[in-house]
Amino acid sequence: MKKILWLLLLFSAFIFTEKGTAAENLQAVINSAKDGSVIKLEDKIYAGNIVIDKPLTLMGTNETLIEGDGKGNVISVRAPGVTISDLKVSKGGMDRNSAEEYAAIKIYTDGNVLRNIGIDESFHGIYLSKAHNNTIENVRVKGLGKEEIAAQGNGLHVYYSNGNLLINNYVVGTRDGMFFDYANDNKVIGNEITKTRYGLHFMYSDRNEFKNNIFTFNTGGAAIMHSNQLKLKNNQFIFNYGHRSFGLMLLSANQNDIENNTFYMNQRGLYIDQSTDNLIKSNQIFQNQIGIELWASSNEQVFTENKIEENTIPAVTLGGSGRNDWSQEGTGNNWGTSFPLLDLDQNGVGDSPAIYKSSLYELIEDQELVYLFLKSPAIKVYEKMNQLMDNEKTMFEDQHPLTDSEKPNFYLSGLVIFAVIISAIIVKRRKLLCISFGRNGRKI
Amino acid sequence: MYFVWKEWKENIRGKGLWLAIGTIILVSALLLVRSTSLSYDQGLYILLINLFDTLIYFIPILYLFMGAFSIFQEKEQKTLVMLLTRQESYWTFLAKKSLGMHLVLIVPVMIWFFLFLVPLKLYFKADIGTYLVFVLSMVALMLVFTQIGALVGSISRSRMQIAGMAVIIWFYFFFLHDFALLSMIQGVNHDNVKLFSIAYFLNPIQAVRLYLETGVGIYSFGHMSRLLKSFMWLQPGAFLGASLMFWVAIAFISSGLLHRKEGFE
Repeated sequence: MKKILWLLLLFSAFIFTEKGTAAENLQAVINSAKDGSVIKLEDKIYAGNIVIDKPLTLMGTNETLIEGDGKGNVISVRAPGVTISDLKVSKGGMDRNSAEEYAAIKIYTDGNVLRNIGIDESFHGIYLSKAHNNTIENVRVKGLGKEEIAAQGNGLHVYYSNGNLLINNYVVGTRDGMFFDYANDNKVIGNEITKTRYGLHFMYSDRNEFKNNIFTFNTGGAAIMHSNQLKLKNNQFIFNYGHRSFGLMLLSANQNDIENNTFYMNQRGLYIDQSTDNLIKSNQIFQNQIGIELWASSNEQVFTENKIEENTIPAVTLGGSGRNDWSQEGTGNNWGTSFPLLDLDQNGVGDSPAIYKSSLYELIEDQELVYLFLKSPAIKVYEKMNQLMDNEKTMFEDQHPLTDSEKPNFYLSGLVIFAVIISAIIVKRRKLLCISFGRNGRKI
Repeated sequence: MYFVWKEWKENIRGKGLWLAIGTIILVSALLLVRSTSLSYDQGLYILLINLFDTLIYFIPILYLFMGAFSIFQEKEQKTLVMLLTRQESYWTFLAKKSLGMHLVLIVPVMIWFFLFLVPLKLYFKADIGTYLVFVLSMVALMLVFTQIGALVGSISRSRMQIAGMAVIIWFYFFFLHDFALLSMIQGVNHDNVKLFSIAYFLNPIQAVRLYLETGVGIYSFGHMSRLLKSFMWLQPGAFLGASLMFWVAIAFISSGLLHRKEGFE
């Protein structure tokens, strides 16, 4: 009888091998592993809330899932030199009344690598807490949707952490895509952030580099606040289009280099307030409602070699006039067809300054509903009427505007000519079409 | 059915429908060519918004004219008098005629838009739901301006009157309506913002635009201020539906009440 009971017990251990057992195993395996060992996980669900306290490699397959109990961090990394790769992490703690903010993976140490990881159902995706020189690569974080702010955290949260590399990650639907708080000298390259509140949110973080990132469909593309000496290059800010949205906001942000970025179809391409000494160079700012919204509290920005065209309002200065330069060393900006410019000496610089006057600044300052009209053709009529009544104010003066050196698009012209020829043929042969489609059997 | 068939034959013999479809095809093709360099993920959204922004310059005026001339043709050719003498009242005539016009003027464009989906699918990540919202937006625009065109045709005595009225109506919806609202926008506060909102969405162009931009997911009304929340007291789709019903009903009833049976060249 005793033997049978033992047999049943052993049998049940095989039948009811649930994640609890696996979790104990995983934590036990980690506990018993030696420093530097490689733990290969299988295609199954492991229970989370594990703590890694020694340098090792945790490697899954594409179907490996580590699932938390919804009450804490799913994986806590408390030793340096840990590598985690090729797995999914889910169900971190969402409690906002807890002593700490939980994450799918929380890193407290330096020199770790996280690669090829999928995350969902967690407050924060990855949280770097006073963790330096880590690499976060190809991590995909899925949040609850951008309308949810308080109930969820950020995709990648970097707190008091320096010298980290965030590369080729994808974040969708979290509160902020990437949040930097007192974090310096980090590199952020090739990430895609979509449908969040702010794709990128900076607070008190200096000397960080951003290259080749894409920010789309966020309430705000990138909000840089109280942060200095950043480099933003070759990023794309597209369709950050909600009411009062922006591609890039600089608020109390100084000495930043913003070069070669694309600001396309945002409510406001650049929004600059209380910021000084920023260089905005060689950016493409087009088809935004407002290309650049510049508040008078901002001074000494330099705008040069930017292509600013097809915006409803190219640039607007609000709250008074600041001291900003719209050209540098004889090189201004290319305003497309916004200004009729002559370049008789053909040096690529217009012979007269580009001066933009507008009457809309007062409305924009006073009434937020004006943004709903920016796409209306009535805006042009409104501007013309106020021009006649001399109610305008100068928004900017570019002393050295660049003229367009692009050649006309012969491909498009060819297509137009082709279309006209086809139309002429159809009109000429319309009678035949009438007979065919009308089926009335008689020629007209 | 007879009215639909009659409308179809008349329209394919005329120039209006061909001109409208030709314009829409040409504009769509040109914008597609311009957009082929856009990214695979966002290209569709950018193209649809640009296409809408371009087509609103053509569709309202073209459909106003087509609606108006379609009714006026019945007067010119004396078919209206014949129909009214025999079995129709003006209301039944108008209802059948409107149905015929809507079907004949809208369906070919819808067919083109579904054909247009093929190259879109090749170049971009095409989401069918997004595209349907776009097609629906265009249909709404065509519907409302065709019906207003029918009103113009009903009350006009000559082609000159039609031309004048159509241009004035187009100018009103395109410029004046928003211009009037812009002129009084500084007086908008929490007490009167709902009234302002109604006036704003009474412009079908703005109602359609906001429906399209929110429907395809590029315009977000998240995190609104109190004033904006009061302004958006209905969903954009509901505003569009209400605006559409209002103008179609007003145009239809006014056509019935104010119509003139005779027309001359």
